[in-house]
Amino acid sequence: MNFTFESNESKFLLRIADTSLILAQRLAEMCSKGPFLEEDIALSNTSLDLFGRAEELYKIICRIENDKFEPDELVYKRNERQFYNLKLVEQPNEDFAWVIVRQFLHDVYAKEVFTELLKSENSEVVGLSQKVLKEIKYSHLHAKDWIERLGLGTEESNSRTQSAVNHILKYIEEIFNFDDIDKTYLSNTAEIESKWNAEINAVFAAYNITRIEVPPLSMRDYRDGFHSEYMGPLLSVMQYLPRAYPDAKW
Amino acid sequence: MVLDRDTNIHPEIWELLNEVPDPEIPAINLVELGVIRTVERTDDGTIYIVITPTYTGCPAKQLFKDLILEKLAEYGHHKVEITSRLNPAWTTDWMSDATKEKLLKIGISPPSVGDRVIVCPQCKSTDTKLLSPFGSVACQSMYSCNTCKEPFSYFKCH
Repeated sequence: MNFTFESNESKFLLRIADTSLILAQRLAEMCSKGPFLEEDIALSNTSLDLFGRAEELYKIICRIENDKFEPDELVYKRNERQFYNLKLVEQPNEDFAWVIVRQFLHDVYAKEVFTELLKSENSEVVGLSQKVLKEIKYSHLHAKDWIERLGLGTEESNSRTQSAVNHILKYIEEIFNFDDIDKTYLSNTAEIESKWNAEINAVFAAYNITRIEVPPLSMRDYRDGFHSEYMGPLLSVMQYLPRAYPDAKW
Repeated sequence: MVLDRDTNIHPEIWELLNEVPDPEIPAINLVELGVIRTVERTDDGTIYIVITPTYTGCPAKQLFKDLILEKLAEYGHHKVEITSRLNPAWTTDWMSDATKEKLLKIGISPPSVGDRVIVCPQCKSTDTKLLSPFGSVACQSMYSCNTCKEPFSYFKCH
């Protein structure tokens, strides 16, 4: 299939949709593997929210692109280099600390982005953003609570959280290398970055986590479809069934 | 603000929609839940229904549509088009007090503005505590009552 996008708005929304989808898939991997029942439910609920968010965004994108493809095709038929999610969200569920750190760093960012999108000229995007912000509130508080407990918990929980942070911070820089497309639809990108930094620094400082200096990395940008090595295996699991049995119906 | 819907247009259709239960909370129907926004009918008899989803990740989203189509088909309405509209976003403010009363009766604590006063559906105490912000379905949180000690589900205020 040909997955070229004509409109800059759909290119922009695709970044957010793919980020939601891939994080949803990562959290879905945790279903039945949570440390206890309530936590299992919390992670699965958050995953559902993110799948739903992605689905609504894909529907908007398909309409903008005159329905030349369907949401399911965007999910199941694109190859790795045709996905435009943040590398942050494809990082694996190495342990529970990784799940929580990844979620917290994402949620603070997503909260700022959807707050900006309340000013969108697209009324469907505005409606979706209103809804999404109410949903992010739960996930964001949940992740922040856990950062507190893990950071201030035991020596072991703190060191595991610190090690998750040290790995995941590598994938932050690209988020704020906003390009012209981002700047067309996000009126205040500088503020998104400064608010993100302010909140992350304050929370880390309060809960005994260090924000290490990340050396410059030679990684190409997610906006051009580049990924870390973890993306391929994720897609192979997510896309296996529709690729093995094309057009299978439930 | 409860509902800005005009149910006087095509009341016979609204009546049928009143018979479509919420698949997750069958005690209330889709009209009471507030997801059905407008009903229109063209001269050739096609019925156009606009719905607004409750939660973006609600697994019942597709089921809403299927159940509406099924109910209308049962009464001979086969030409039905359902579209989804996101703006204005669905809010629990669209539920009437009568609907909230129904929720309380079946053991679900109804949404309270700003999640402030959360009533135990068992003993009606307001001395309750949050167990987990996430519950058995996307729209609910888990609480327990400090008075009667019973756990219960709370319909999140959105």
